[in-house]
Amino acid sequence: MYLTTFSTLHHLPLADILDTIRQLGWGGAFELLRNGIVLGSLYALIALGYTMIYGILKLLNFAHGEIYMVGAFLGYGVLSILGGPLAPAIATVPLILLMFAGGMLGAGVLGVVVERFAYRPLRNAPRIAPLITALGVSFFLANSVLLLTHGQRYNYAAYQLGGNPDNGLPGPLVDSAFSVLGRPVTVVQVLVVSSAIFLMVALTLIVSRTKLGKAMRATAFDREAANMMGIDTDRVIAFTFLIASVLAGAAGVMFGLYIGETYYLMGFLAGLKAFTAAVVGGIGSIPGAMVGGLLIGVTESFAAGYVGGQWSDIVVFAVLIAFMLFRPTGLFGTRAIQKV
Amino acid sequence: MRKLSIVAAAVALVGLVAAATGAGQAQFKPAAANNAANALVKCGTTRTIGVAYPATGPAASIGVFQIHWAQFFASQWNKKHPKDKIRIVQGDTQLPDTAKALAVAHSFASNSSMLGLVGPAGSQEVQDTAAVFKGGGLAMVSGSATRITLTRAQSGHARDTPVGYFYRTVPNDGQQGDRVASWISKKMKKKRVYIIDDQESYSTGLAEQVENNLRAAGVNVNRDSVSQQISDFSSVITRIPSNTQVVYIPWQLAGKAQLFYTQLRAAGKSAIVFGSDGTFAPGTFTGAGSYVSSFPVDYNSPALKAFKRQHGGQDEAFGLPTYTAALVNATAIMKACKNGTASRAEVRSWIKKTILPKAQTLLGFPVKFLSKNKGKQTGSGDMGGTADFGIYKIAASGKYNRVG
Repeated sequence: MYLTTFSTLHHLPLADILDTIRQLGWGGAFELLRNGIVLGSLYALIALGYTMIYGILKLLNFAHGEIYMVGAFLGYGVLSILGGPLAPAIATVPLILLMFAGGMLGAGVLGVVVERFAYRPLRNAPRIAPLITALGVSFFLANSVLLLTHGQRYNYAAYQLGGNPDNGLPGPLVDSAFSVLGRPVTVVQVLVVSSAIFLMVALTLIVSRTKLGKAMRATAFDREAANMMGIDTDRVIAFTFLIASVLAGAAGVMFGLYIGETYYLMGFLAGLKAFTAAVVGGIGSIPGAMVGGLLIGVTESFAAGYVGGQWSDIVVFAVLIAFMLFRPTGLFGTRAIQKV
Repeated sequence: MRKLSIVAAAVALVGLVAAATGAGQAQFKPAAANNAANALVKCGTTRTIGVAYPATGPAASIGVFQIHWAQFFASQWNKKHPKDKIRIVQGDTQLPDTAKALAVAHSFASNSSMLGLVGPAGSQEVQDTAAVFKGGGLAMVSGSATRITLTRAQSGHARDTPVGYFYRTVPNDGQQGDRVASWISKKMKKKRVYIIDDQESYSTGLAEQVENNLRAAGVNVNRDSVSQQISDFSSVITRIPSNTQVVYIPWQLAGKAQLFYTQLRAAGKSAIVFGSDGTFAPGTFTGAGSYVSSFPVDYNSPALKAFKRQHGGQDEAFGLPTYTAALVNATAIMKACKNGTASRAEVRSWIKKTILPKAQTLLGFPVKFLSKNKGKQTGSGDMGGTADFGIYKIAASGKYNRVG
């Protein structure tokens, strides 16, 4: 009976998955974990924006993925203006810093402009109105970039930064920074994760230790009361959008450096997955967005690695559905108690 | 009992609607399309050709090449034929959005001034819009739809288009798949191949062809799949066994091929990357040591040099068959318009009789369409003659050198 059961098991997809796990071994598992953490760091940065804006305005800003996309394009723009990856006008480190600056500042300004002209006039409208507007802004931004770029895909080709343009040998970004179980962790992967951690820590400090952060928390808790206490909530909300968009812009530049490609639709799927991460972590919770992002990234990576590339999105959104059914408040969210 | 009756009635109603819809789809001919199909158009000095291509959507980055080549053709043709000019009307099919393709099909079919059609771009789009274009009397001439069953029934699968209404100026998956599999197994003598498709019909069709041929040749083949939306291939690359010798990527987007190559090398894997004609893009896919299959374009031809000058020095071959498709249409329309008027039926009959010399087609071979099945994988609407694929190897400098 045991043998019969085993041979039946062999014909199931589960057998293929177990086979793959065995074949990839611990080294492969580490690679998938590494990939997932890098990807998850990007999702976490975008998810933070979703969660901050939801926390303060109860608005799901579906245009946030497009802010990330614009940040990626701005970073590419800075790279192009400064000579491109093969013949940059300045050294690699300051070039990368300028790319971040361009992407983050540009995305930040865009986020503030969107809030001012698309969402603020609807502050007191029924909640569906800004939600629909957010969708509209998303399409507007994506199609604007489409018109400007004619749908072209642009490749950062950051692996060539600092490399040899004559023979195409790559630069230091793809060098191995260190190895685990014989599998390399490249310089760019370390850069992405460490930058994401730095930004998350900076955000946490701003929110918990500064006066503006206190004002943000007060506005998120009760906007009316915060107003009455003398807080300029319009300014606080604008600042929240600024920070959220700066983080998304940073994620866009990091994606460009790590993966390479920018195109007008890249914000759509990334935005959805980051939204999933924010929900899984507990929408409105900053630590939740960070953990949710990492969880989604790792889940996606393991699904792609052990089950197959075509399964990764299915698994990610299945996780979302599962959380909605069994833990709708997410990992760190709490049920709100409203006094009636 | 009452509830049962209501449910039964509802099911019957749904069934009736479905049957009516099905019957309607087969027979429904909007009046406008019907009129346009039979209309005798006064040719004048400017004739209209529709170009159905993905101007927006996930495939916009390759659609733009197709419209560039179509517009380039029109400008070149109009200079040489001032009394037989061509005007292009664009239709955005948003590949792979079939609904949009159908909307374009209805719009074109009912446009009575339109005599010719370039596209649609995707094989699934061709299949889905065939009935509409047939109803409108327009013959599709596609520069990129490569599925075999569009022109030839295969085991268990009927031909997807009506004979006389679909032609293509690009060799089909069978021709390309056979060539690639033969090169990998016999010339490169590789025994372990990993195939990754991008889930689009062009890619899955070609992947299947190559996989079947390689397995028949005794090659060990693994198969995987990634969404065309994905740019991070790191986890898929982790799955590739380290002893894999060749990774075959029949993808539509050369930029993705370059990303894949870069990430594969960054992961420390040395497998040779082999791309299909969708990845043929000098300047974009530059992975040293990689191979690409493509029709044998002559990059020294004056027309290609002129295109390159007009488009910022960019070499581009994906959209080139669209140029040829437009040429097929323009030539047929010119012949049909000899007496000053033309109908779509006349244009179709001239398309069927197309003979274009190699120097004009830019494909590296002449164009003459088959009128019936030939061999196991080509049928009426495919190009006969030397419609074969070249194999190119990418040098360290990024230059494409033809090796087969």
